[in-house]
Amino acid sequence: MQRKPAGLIFAFCFFLNFLFSQDSFFTLSGIISDSQSGETLIGATVNIPQLGTGTITNEYGFYSIQIPANDTILVLFSYVGFQSVERKLFLKGDEKQNVEMSEAGIELEEVVVRANTLEDRVGSTEMSVETISPKEAKLLPVLFGESDILKTIQLKPGLPSGSEGTTGLFVRGGGSDQNLIVLDEAIVYNASHLFGFFSTFNTDAVKDLKIYKGGFPSQYGGRLSSVIDVKLKEGNKKKFSGAGGIGLISSRLTLEGPIKKDKSSFMISGRRTYVDLITNAINNSNRDNPDSDPIPAYFFYDLNTKLNFELGENDKLYISGYFGRDVFNFEGDFFDFDFFWGNGTGTARWNHIFNSQLFANTTFTYSDYKYNIANRFDGFTFEVGSNIEDVNLKTDFYYALNNQHTFRFGLNATRHEFTVGRLQAGSDDGEVAFSAGQDFNGLEFGSYISDLWKINDRASLNAGLRLSGFNNEGTTYFGLEPRAAFNYSFTKKFSFKASYARMYQYLHLVAAAGLTLPTDVWYPSTEKVKPQRSDQVAAGINYLLSKDLLFSVETYYKWLDNQIEFVDGARLFANDNLEEEFAIGRGKAYGLEVSLEKTEGQLTGWIGYTYARIRRGEFETLDPSGIFSQQGYFSPIYDRRHDLSIVLFYELSRKINLTSTFVYGSGDLRWMPLGRFTFQDVYGGNFEAVVPLYADRNNYRLAPYNRLDLGLIINFFPKWGESDLTINIINLYNRRNAFFVYFDPSFREVTDTEGNVFEIPTGIQAKQVSLFPILPSLTYNFKF
Amino acid sequence: MRLEANYVILFLFVSSLFLSGCGDLEKDILVDLPEYENQIVLEAYLEPGKPFRLLLTNSASYFAPFPQEEDQFLQSILLQDATVSITYNNEVIELTNQFSFDAETGKLFNYFNQRNVPEDYEKSFDLQVTTPTGETIMATTKILPVVPIDSTLIFFDEDQDTLARAETYLTDDGDTHNFYRRTVHLGSLENEAEQDFVTDDVFFETEKFFFGTAPDYTIGDTLIFTIYHIDQDYFQFWRSVQLSILSNGNPFGQPSPIISNLGGTANAIGVFTGLSYDREVTIIEK
Repeated sequence: MQRKPAGLIFAFCFFLNFLFSQDSFFTLSGIISDSQSGETLIGATVNIPQLGTGTITNEYGFYSIQIPANDTILVLFSYVGFQSVERKLFLKGDEKQNVEMSEAGIELEEVVVRANTLEDRVGSTEMSVETISPKEAKLLPVLFGESDILKTIQLKPGLPSGSEGTTGLFVRGGGSDQNLIVLDEAIVYNASHLFGFFSTFNTDAVKDLKIYKGGFPSQYGGRLSSVIDVKLKEGNKKKFSGAGGIGLISSRLTLEGPIKKDKSSFMISGRRTYVDLITNAINNSNRDNPDSDPIPAYFFYDLNTKLNFELGENDKLYISGYFGRDVFNFEGDFFDFDFFWGNGTGTARWNHIFNSQLFANTTFTYSDYKYNIANRFDGFTFEVGSNIEDVNLKTDFYYALNNQHTFRFGLNATRHEFTVGRLQAGSDDGEVAFSAGQDFNGLEFGSYISDLWKINDRASLNAGLRLSGFNNEGTTYFGLEPRAAFNYSFTKKFSFKASYARMYQYLHLVAAAGLTLPTDVWYPSTEKVKPQRSDQVAAGINYLLSKDLLFSVETYYKWLDNQIEFVDGARLFANDNLEEEFAIGRGKAYGLEVSLEKTEGQLTGWIGYTYARIRRGEFETLDPSGIFSQQGYFSPIYDRRHDLSIVLFYELSRKINLTSTFVYGSGDLRWMPLGRFTFQDVYGGNFEAVVPLYADRNNYRLAPYNRLDLGLIINFFPKWGESDLTINIINLYNRRNAFFVYFDPSFREVTDTEGNVFEIPTGIQAKQVSLFPILPSLTYNFKF
Repeated sequence: MRLEANYVILFLFVSSLFLSGCGDLEKDILVDLPEYENQIVLEAYLEPGKPFRLLLTNSASYFAPFPQEEDQFLQSILLQDATVSITYNNEVIELTNQFSFDAETGKLFNYFNQRNVPEDYEKSFDLQVTTPTGETIMATTKILPVVPIDSTLIFFDEDQDTLARAETYLTDDGDTHNFYRRTVHLGSLENEAEQDFVTDDVFFETEKFFFGTAPDYTIGDTLIFTIYHIDQDYFQFWRSVQLSILSNGNPFGQPSPIISNLGGTANAIGVFTGLSYDREVTIIEK
């Protein structure tokens, strides 16, 4: 029985080979890696200039290409920022060539390959994809000097963030729950610390981050709007090394090295904030002061680790994990408050090379996200929390049939366990108890096949089909998800691209506010709550203006079905029947993204502009009383019409780098009251002279957002390694960007004839609150 | 409201973290809101033993100027010249447009009938309003039976025996879905409530349950505990009013239109409901 799946796969591959066999070719395959660390290189290029053909390494560093038999062929291996490697080969049969490439030093600048990656992008079917290297992210620190790769990539077009400073991502009209975030293939359900001001990804531990905004490859599924694929470093297989940094609010350290040289390695990385150490010291010093109220303590930490074993020539085993927590607590004389939230993930991955054409990756992952709030006061406890726990098994195959067809196919199954809105409260003697919450189990599964077909020198097509499904307590859904991405290169410098992707999403985030909150909970599809669905078409051009200057334009239109909004006055916490609070409707989004990217020379960077429009509508039961039923379509708060970012890196000298970031965006929308009324209430109730009256949703646009950040990086080259001092100024011209707007009624005291004093309103003033003034920061980073 | 209070804690925490020492991050701005058409607001609480009476007012656009003279404030909001009646037991009870001030409670009403509301928990009451422009408001309600307070217990904190907290016990009917409003006042009902929230009984695992207070009270304090047994319409209305007030610009907030139980053509907001409550006064002593 064990042999059946493998037998089927080989039968399938044999069938394909039979159909497309090319007797006069042999297959060259192997792994491309960094000679300094042994890290595999993702997206490295393998070119055969005399044939005008090539390929790139997959996400595990594996490549496979067919070469004519009985001929001497020059094969060129290249990767951005690395010294290229040339090999002359005369193949007498299928051959394996593992290639190690050296990172370029300044003296090797003339052979450093940079521009070819732009040319590859012009010719690739891949579209709607953004990447950023950890190195770039480190040059552009964000809040308080902390580098944050997920926030930095939001400077790319089409990736507008949530409100000021937050990591919430709203990709092409999608909600913040419509992003599939995977860390070493394990799902991360809440990728933020401190209510979204920092992401969970420690840049030092990250090897690669890639975001798909559309044209999704068939191997991805489960979310409508984006895929954020983060890969951790594997660990240096050559020598022991480390990196770290000391910042204003946190410090971090990453260590990596060989367990057995060239065969196995480890990486461990940690980060922790230390604001709580200061607040605890203040609390201790005020312990004897009766007028002093304790300051709540807050900190977050991350731990990343990875082990990498080469089991044999064709087998590799990776084990990685992430654990992060935000902790917020308060200890008073009578009242304790403990609040924690965070993710844990674990991945065990086995790479196996069957032969020069067939590569397989089998992964077992575990993901967990939970939050818990516990209050305790004399004799009574109150606890609320939610969590989602996943166990996933998947296997993916990469089959390079020939230079025209590369197939990918695979299967995956995930078991989800949800606890939604668990509430427990009661007295210690058990006489009184409250409880609420729902538990669900769900099974999500998917299978896919795709073919990257190089039709001819100019045209290529990546077509695929994904069959997904979800079962929750007897309710089963299936979804057929066709995917296609087409590229036509008019020249090597100019190409047209188009894509279509249908996506299904079986899990839904219950989030009332526009900000990312740790208390947002995940909810499965049920009989009433149908899976969300999107269809996206995109088209665009890439034009290489010069060898290092790429101009791109993309336009897209997206239809969204079974979108969830919450009914007015929804009870989102501690609700035993949460789906009664859902209103189901539709959505649409369209936009245009333009970018100009320069990758070489002293001055590098990009300019990105996005025009977007997002609408939601056709919700049947938004207003339980039926008075304010939302008329027609409305825009969600993240409907940002214009979004511009200009990011520049200037290498003044080997020692000094300058960076500059300018962002401009239309203001977010807010749901503002249109009217007011006076509420008398019953005797004993509080009289309210001004009660806001809300009607249509998201009816007011905040002032436009704009900000300029500057950075100065001073590099040092001590004997033991490298270090730098990064000075950053966020919001250089001290712009007060709107975080929120509130209304402040003013009152006048009036005394009646009987001497009673009461207040009558005299006016209402709108006030805008900003989060950040000009913020200088200093960070020291080191590497050895 | 305890759960909403968690939002406030989160919000205060984030705000305090970033606002401390960052200078003036708040400024006055002008906000241009879309057009708003005034609506009629109705508050009617049928309390057994009290006259049939209600308050009909007008809402205003959010930034509409307030009258400068205090006596003009009432004039500006009261809706006059409507025709109001309540039908009970097939009898139509007309409420005339007259200003009525309840000296005991300090509450104002502009539609009144001196006949008292009967203590009838079976029959329904039907409201019919015709506005001066001919629009209608209609609603139906029943008065729910009182859920009595079983007992109130006072506990002194072990470490600081000068401070006390209170637990108010009652028994919930496990066979029906019940909604409650709970208030706690210190000293007088005219003071701002120390606690004021609504809840339902779906979370109660036991029929006997209590509402507690923080240990904020000292010997000699007078605490007034009130348990209102309310219907779902009132629960939704009162909660939506509170959500509207609390969500004022709060980025973690959850704005809500007012959820009313009024029908008719006037597009009015408000509530027509019965009022049943039990109240207990406790003086803190050891």
